[in-house]
Amino acid sequence: MTDTPLNKGPHDIGGEPAGPIDTIDHGMKFWERQANALRSVAQANKITSTDELRRAAEDLGDKYRDLQYFEITTSALRTVLLEKGIVTEQELSKKMAEIRARFNVPDEMESPLKKKAST
Amino acid sequence: MASSQQSVIYPASTYTPAPAHRYNIGDRVRVKRAFPPGHQRTPHYIRGKQGMIERICGAFPNPEELAYGFDGKPEKTLYRVRFPQKHVWPHYAGPSHDVIEMEIFEHWLEPASHDDGATHGGSS
Repeated sequence: MTDTPLNKGPHDIGGEPAGPIDTIDHGMKFWERQANALRSVAQANKITSTDELRRAAEDLGDKYRDLQYFEITTSALRTVLLEKGIVTEQELSKKMAEIRARFNVPDEMESPLKKKAST
Repeated sequence: MASSQQSVIYPASTYTPAPAHRYNIGDRVRVKRAFPPGHQRTPHYIRGKQGMIERICGAFPNPEELAYGFDGKPEKTLYRVRFPQKHVWPHYAGPSHDVIEMEIFEHWLEPASHDDGATHGGSS
């Protein structure tokens, strides 16, 4: 390779060696359905767009390749909602604490990023 | 389907007219070999490659600006560009007439001459 991959996003993988492809349908987890519905509603109401979400996803950089699809899209939605002032960090963490307490979800289940960082 | 000329209602095309276009169908173009920051719809592997305008898709808000919350106006003309696979992938093992087509915005294209390296795309 003589090309310098300057400013090449983590999504831009055309031509790179590919590993094995997982062809099993894993379905959608409960949170994935919820998060995907939220993203869908936000787009339908013109709160955000595919372009913005893709940009926010690409900006995840190296994290992008460690995350699964709905983790990426949900992380992107979070970024855009914060950027637009629709929610604040404080409101998000307050709500997350509230929900965690309600469901008694173990801490490592709450953040895929944190879980991966600690292993 | 063959029973009559009965009209079928298709969803409205998302393609829009492109009143102003620098290139026409059949023109040779080269994708700019540039690596600016930001959100782009032009994959790295096609930059610097030569192809041929296959169709004019229409004019659309610029996704490079939409990605940051702007309106993307004025709209940019989008083309479908045809590239020979053997030109895009030097070690391509498939038939020499294989092509890859990609939709690329006008500001990513520059004119290329017929004898400028790449061969014709496909059998056309």
